[in-house]
Amino acid sequence: MAKPVVIVVGADKGGVGKTTISRTLLDYFSANNVPTRAFDTESPRGTLKRFHPDVTEIVDMTVTSDQMKIFDTLNSASPSVTVIDVRAGLLSPSLASLRDIGFLDAAKSGQITFAVFHILGPSIASLDEIAETASFMSGAKYFLVKNFINDTQFFQWDQATYNSYFHRIKDATELTIPKLNEMAFEQVEVASVPFLKFVANKGSSDEAANYSFVLRGYVRHWLANVWSEFDRIKLTDMIGSGKAVTRGEK
Amino acid sequence: MRQTPVTPVYIVCSPRPLVGKTLIARLLSEFLLLKNGTVMAFDVNLKEPSLLEYLPDITETAEIDDTVGKMALMDRVIICDGIAKVIDLGFHAFDAFFKMTDEIGFMKEAVRRGVSPVVLFVGDSDRVSARSYPMLQRQVPPNALVTVENEYVVRGELPEALAGRRVLRVAALPTFLKTYVDRLPFSFTDYLRNERDSSTELHQWIRGNYLKFRELELSLMLQGS
Repeated sequence: MAKPVVIVVGADKGGVGKTTISRTLLDYFSANNVPTRAFDTESPRGTLKRFHPDVTEIVDMTVTSDQMKIFDTLNSASPSVTVIDVRAGLLSPSLASLRDIGFLDAAKSGQITFAVFHILGPSIASLDEIAETASFMSGAKYFLVKNFINDTQFFQWDQATYNSYFHRIKDATELTIPKLNEMAFEQVEVASVPFLKFVANKGSSDEAANYSFVLRGYVRHWLANVWSEFDRIKLTDMIGSGKAVTRGEK
Repeated sequence: MRQTPVTPVYIVCSPRPLVGKTLIARLLSEFLLLKNGTVMAFDVNLKEPSLLEYLPDITETAEIDDTVGKMALMDRVIICDGIAKVIDLGFHAFDAFFKMTDEIGFMKEAVRRGVSPVVLFVGDSDRVSARSYPMLQRQVPPNALVTVENEYVVRGELPEALAGRRVLRVAALPTFLKTYVDRLPFSFTDYLRNERDSSTELHQWIRGNYLKFRELELSLMLQGS
C-alpha cells in the first residue's frame, strides 16, 4: 500500500497566493488522475472550497476534533494525497501542532510523505519565516515558492541575504510561479471554477460555459508553466510510482 | 470524416511599414465581399494608411494593447460563423500579436473550432523580415503561411529564406496607377464593374489578384476536406 502524502501549503503572511497554489495543485493531481482530498483552514468560509467543493472540507486546525479529522484518516482515506491550505498566520503554529501530535516524527521515519509549499512574499519578513519554518522541516520535503501571481516583485530581497536563509535548509527546492494575466485571474475568480474547468470552458457542474477564448488561452498557458514547475520537482514521483497517469495518456 | 473549415481568418502582416499590407488587405476584403457578399475586416493599423478609411462599411478598428482589446478582437475571429475575416495588422503590432496568439494557443484552437487561419506575410528584403519569418514558421502550419511577394516593394528576387511552401505574387503597378488606386474612394470591385474595357492594365491586375485569392481559398478548402 502506498504511503499517504500530506502537502501543506502556507505562509505566515497573507495575500501571497496560498490558495492559488493549492488550486493549481488540485488541478495538477486531477489532470494526473491522482485521487486527492483537500482541507481548507479558512474557517468558517473557505476560498479553496469555493473552487473545489467536491474534494474540499473546511476545518479549523486549532481544534483537536478537526486535527483528528485530517490526520487520523490518513491511512484509511481512499485518496492518498491530502492538500492542506493553511490560512495566513497559521503555518508555524500548524507545524508546531504537527510536531506535538507526532506527525513530523512519522514523516521522519518514512511512514508518511510530507511536503510543505511555503509561499514567499516580497518582504524581508518572508525570509524570517523561512528561518522559523526550517526548524520543523527535517523529514519533510520543503518547497520555497516565489509566487509572482500578484505582480509581486522580489526587489526587497538582497540575493546574498536570501541565499543565506535558503541554504540553511538542507534539500529545500525553489519554485517560481509566473504571473497570470490580471483579467484572466479575475474571470476565474468570478466563475468560481477550477482553472482546468475554466480552460475547458465548463461551469461548476460541467455545463458548457462561455468564457473568453483569450482569457482561457492565458490561463492555459500559465497553468502549463506552473505544472512544468511541478513536473520539474517530480511531484508525481513523490506520491509513488505507478499511480500517476500522464496528462498525455489522459 | 473531418468537416471542411468554413471560416477563414486572413492575417495580413509584416514587421515592416509601407510594404503594401493595407493594399493586400483591401484587395482581399473586396474579393471576399464580392464572392461571399459579406466579410469582416479588422484594422490593427492605426499608424499607417488605414483599411478603415478605404472600407468603412466592413471594417472595425481593433487594438491589442490591453486584454480588453485582445478579447474584443480574438473572441470574434475564433468564432466559426462562416464569415471570412481579414486582419490588417500594423507593423507596430506584429510582435505583440503573434506573442499573444502563441500564448493563447490560437492556431490549435482555430483548427478545433473549424476556423482556418491564413497568415499572409508581406515579405521584404530587410533583416527584420528575415528574423520574423522563422518565428511565424514555428507557430503557423506550413500550409497556412503564405509569403506575399509584392513586386512593388521587393524589387528583384524575394529572399530565399522567405520563400516558403506558398508564395503569392502581386505584380507591381505603374506609379500613376498606384496613385490612382491609393485615392480614398477607390474600390477595386467598383472599377471592375464600371470599367467596360477589360483590357486595361488595372482591370487585368485586379482580376489577376482576385484569381490568385480564389486559388488560395480553393487550396485551403482542399486541405480541409
